[in-house]
Amino acid sequence: VLLERDKRGVGRTDIISTVEFNHTGELLATGDKGGRVVIFQQEIENKSQPQFRSEYNVYSTFQSHEPEFDYLKSLEIEEKINKIRWLPQKNAAQFLLSTNDKTIKLWKISERDKRPEGYNLKEEDGRYKDPNTIMSLRVPVLIPMDLMVEASPRRVFANAHTYHINSISVNSDNETYLSADDLRINLWHLEITDRSFNIVDIKPANMEELTEVITAAEFHPHQCNTFVYSSSKGTIRLCDMRASALCDKHSKLFEEPEDPSNRSFFSEIISSISDVKFSHNGRYMMTRDYLSVKIWDLNMENRPVETYQVHEYLRSKLCSLYENDCIFDKFECCWNGNDSVVMTGSYNNFFRMFDRGQRRDVTLEASRENSKPMQVLKPRKVCAGGKRKKDEISVDSLDFNKKILHTAWHPQDNIIAVATTNNLYIFQDKVN
Amino acid sequence: MMECAFDAQNLISISLRKIQSSRTQRGGIKLHKNLLVTYVLRNARQFYMSKNLSQTQRTHHYEDVAAVRGRHEYLELTGSLTELADDFYCNFTGVESDTWHCGAHQSIGQPAEVAHQDASACAMVPQSDSELMVSEACWSCADKSSWDLPVLNAQANQKTVLDLDTHVVTTVTNGYFHSDCCAQSKQPQGAQCYSKKRKMDTSYYVVDPEFYLPDFGPWPCKRMRTDDDSPSEPEQLDSSNISNLISVLGSGGLSEFVSWQQTDLEQIIAAQTICLKHTLLTGSGWTRAIEAF
Repeated sequence: VLLERDKRGVGRTDIISTVEFNHTGELLATGDKGGRVVIFQQEIENKSQPQFRSEYNVYSTFQSHEPEFDYLKSLEIEEKINKIRWLPQKNAAQFLLSTNDKTIKLWKISERDKRPEGYNLKEEDGRYKDPNTIMSLRVPVLIPMDLMVEASPRRVFANAHTYHINSISVNSDNETYLSADDLRINLWHLEITDRSFNIVDIKPANMEELTEVITAAEFHPHQCNTFVYSSSKGTIRLCDMRASALCDKHSKLFEEPEDPSNRSFFSEIISSISDVKFSHNGRYMMTRDYLSVKIWDLNMENRPVETYQVHEYLRSKLCSLYENDCIFDKFECCWNGNDSVVMTGSYNNFFRMFDRGQRRDVTLEASRENSKPMQVLKPRKVCAGGKRKKDEISVDSLDFNKKILHTAWHPQDNIIAVATTNNLYIFQDKVN
Repeated sequence: MMECAFDAQNLISISLRKIQSSRTQRGGIKLHKNLLVTYVLRNARQFYMSKNLSQTQRTHHYEDVAAVRGRHEYLELTGSLTELADDFYCNFTGVESDTWHCGAHQSIGQPAEVAHQDASACAMVPQSDSELMVSEACWSCADKSSWDLPVLNAQANQKTVLDLDTHVVTTVTNGYFHSDCCAQSKQPQGAQCYSKKRKMDTSYYVVDPEFYLPDFGPWPCKRMRTDDDSPSEPEQLDSSNISNLISVLGSGGLSEFVSWQQTDLEQIIAAQTICLKHTLLTGSGWTRAIEAF
């Protein structure tokens, strides 16, 4: 049972490229193709009421990255924000990391709701007084003012990636974070911008021998020495930084053997992992490939413990999807707060939720036409073949331009953020 | 495999177009996507090979087809594909397609500075600069047609190529051939890109799989970056003089450059030649594929 609120607005041409709740869920950050970050803040109406409704309103907007030109390589660097990751809050200010293809930035978002008044040497408008006119001294006081939210770049971590950055992940030690590109993973200290440690390097000596790239990487939520990275070959490697400085040798390799009956021209493409996420409890991890979501137990490497088909009806359409480039879409996935439900996006503005405990799944749609604010979302169904029932949608009428690549789940409550191409939808589970 | 032979042909042409168009995409070549596309190409090729294993006698027919078309055209087309693949394998840093990209001569007689692969250095070399061997090598093929006479080496996996202009003999080993990708200052009709050295095996001709596509259009040609369209420094850049390159970075400063260089020098300066993976272009699979249609 979900209520819908459309947030980013009508007619925006900014394509949302990342969505992330902070650790309390109070703030929701989005990044877009234009290099902008928009942060929404939750304002809870009457939480004491059983049917409280959360509203997310724009809190701060800033330009995180600008397009750049790499003169040495004659290469334009896109300003698109690939990932945003929040740091755990330590003081009044909020910190987040945002990255484009090449540069990671640490942003401080702080509130200012007071301003000083009553300077001795300055007038209110800032002009300096003639010291001879001052007869007495007073202590300046802070007086309330309209809330101002300021975003300022505190660190810029640049020039450490030859290839395109696809992931950043903050360590549980709150001091370090990793950044991953196609072939390398670097470890940074949040305070130090002029150097980073390379901890994974899969670049072959001869680039013609390249067979796989890194597609995603994440630190373990509790073990500060452990991280995983996924590859385009459908494997996940778990690495322990205590084992050696360079973690090219994995501690664990998670791989499911391919089903030979499913072999096609596109087998390699659809097995490429587009996202990997640890569960909150740190015992599982979830991977997303083109057609499915897999849950892995960290103690079992040879196969996932659960596999969920997101849109199996697309398997017979792979050739067309290759032609229109949709087969290269990188869908993300996310866990709910207690790891009982996982969610991921699909086409036609559909998104899917899989309830692990109750073994049921649902397909929902994020669109203006089909839902009004406060209206309960209706489950959708795709008809794979044969006779189409009423209210079902046939595969051929799916709109492949409407894709939901980015979704996020509130860390505690049943509130989800779903990004269509340039709109953000926030849905809330109605608490009964 | 579920797809039939026709779909495989279609896939090959689609894949090649994707690789080609990725060169002009904003943000540089996407390594991941291009790697996946090459897997599709490989799968399609393997499909053809499995379909045509028994038809060995067709190679003679294939040579007739080649003769009709003319060797020059073949070289142009295969040069284009070579260039594409070169760009993919050698421009992992994401150099855009219209960036000047020079392959170094793998030759005995030329000095070592030819070997530098600095793309932007090449781009900045004006036409009049004849002191840099790199520029001369690149411009020479725009001015003259310096097609190589292939000389088959005794060893099966070695080919020897003679450059008609410089009279330099190049030996290609282990199935890799060295090609120089050269941009032209003028755009001839059809915007063909020439490959300076082509390895030819006299038992069959290497033909671009796009060769038989009905709507084959002109290849996009790499053009020389002029001062007008590049915001970078107008001064000449010596590829071996790194301090000049630093000045291009502007406010970034030396430290930024050095730390970046450490991860990138390997791309730019290390290799002396560009090697192209052989399996995609040669191998009996392709020739049989052509015969089938």
